[in-house]
Amino acid sequence: MVLSLRVMAPNRIVWNSEVGEITLSTNSGQIGILPNHAPLLTALDMGVSKIRSGGQWSAMASMGGFAMIDNNRVTILVNEAEVSDEIDPIEAQKDYEVAQMELAKAEGRKRKIEANLAFKRAKARLEASTIS
Amino acid sequence: MASSSVRRGVSRLSHLLQNTSPLASSAHSCSGRCPGLSSGELAPFGSRMASSQIVRNRMKSVKSIQKITKAMKMVAASKLRGVQVKAENSRGFWQPFVALLGDHPDIESKKNVILTISSDRGLCGGINSTSVKFSKAMFTLSASEEPAKYVILGEKGKVQLQRDSKKNIQMVVTDIQKMPINFTQISMIADEILKNVEFDTIKIIYNKFGSVVSFLPSVATIPSPEVIARESEAGGKLEQLESYEIEGGDSKAEVLQNLSEFQFAAMLFNASLENACSEQGARMSAMDSSTRNASEMLEKLTLKYNRSRQASITTELIEIISGAAALEAAS
Repeated sequence: MVLSLRVMAPNRIVWNSEVGEITLSTNSGQIGILPNHAPLLTALDMGVSKIRSGGQWSAMASMGGFAMIDNNRVTILVNEAEVSDEIDPIEAQKDYEVAQMELAKAEGRKRKIEANLAFKRAKARLEASTIS
Repeated sequence: MASSSVRRGVSRLSHLLQNTSPLASSAHSCSGRCPGLSSGELAPFGSRMASSQIVRNRMKSVKSIQKITKAMKMVAASKLRGVQVKAENSRGFWQPFVALLGDHPDIESKKNVILTISSDRGLCGGINSTSVKFSKAMFTLSASEEPAKYVILGEKGKVQLQRDSKKNIQMVVTDIQKMPINFTQISMIADEILKNVEFDTIKIIYNKFGSVVSFLPSVATIPSPEVIARESEAGGKLEQLESYEIEGGDSKAEVLQNLSEFQFAAMLFNASLENACSEQGARMSAMDSSTRNASEMLEKLTLKYNRSRQASITTELIEIISGAAALEAAS
């Protein structure tokens, strides 16, 4: 029994294969998906999802979206996603530090929100690049 | 364009005719008075020089039009290649929504909003008129207690719908195609629309790209979160939604709201890309038929020109020979 996973961004298909297990990060915590999961519709936060395929875990940083699970078919729609082997760990670390500094010195509501989003994005990318 | 070049041609001719025979200059004044002299029609007094000049100028302008339309066709073809790839990649993005929620154009709704997607530039065949025709039909069909409202994307749709439905237009967005279409831009537009327009359903009308020669007017229906919640109760159209566990938010309503907004952005993204593809494809075929028409015209004009040139040569020969014969007979 396997799950067939499709991850789609507006401009490309990020993942399209069969996997054994998925861990999604939603804003109410992490959800583990195994084969024969009940039908589920959930919103995804900006974070890292882990995917186990053939005994190997890989990570994927996603910038918010939705996941729909039905009948062993998992469809994840995201605004933007990067699989861990597409992310350069050194660059991700640098981005993270820059975003952290920007967040600390951001003034004004609009800048704070933008800096927060950039920070979350950099954090997700860094986590994804270091996990696998 | 042809008449202005004729006028220019005739005035250039006037320099040549300053010192020459009154015959030619009277013909010039004739053509000067009627600049719309169409090619091939000999001016009175048989001044063939002026008429062949007219034809030559017409040929020049037709040739330049042909070059322009050929270039426009190639530009449209290369733009089409770029947008087509994006449109095909974006199709996978909205299909899961339809798989989950289905497509229900007949869903009950009181406040209808019709979103027409059109192009900003013209010369693209009939796709904008088709979209506007369908929008007007949708408008009449969806009449309920409140009249439907229009949201228009694109300059051409705005111009056409403003003529008779000005008071029903709620929002207009133009100049979208200044940059290549991307999801961030579309989600911002979607946000603006969601903020300013109240709706039960939005019907997006666009031209789906079938192939370079086929564009299908299509309508995508997006229900609002309240309608989704209402229809997902037992007996509604979205009954299958009840079987799903809904997570990821403080409440089911919040998740459904996010879902509906995301669905709107995804569908709008795909619809604008498909419409952009159809626009480029329609422009390609319009420019192609223009080029073909121009080369047909050019052939006809060339024949006319050669005929008038040969006729003038023959006349000159006849005059010379009859003059020579008259001299001989006299001597």
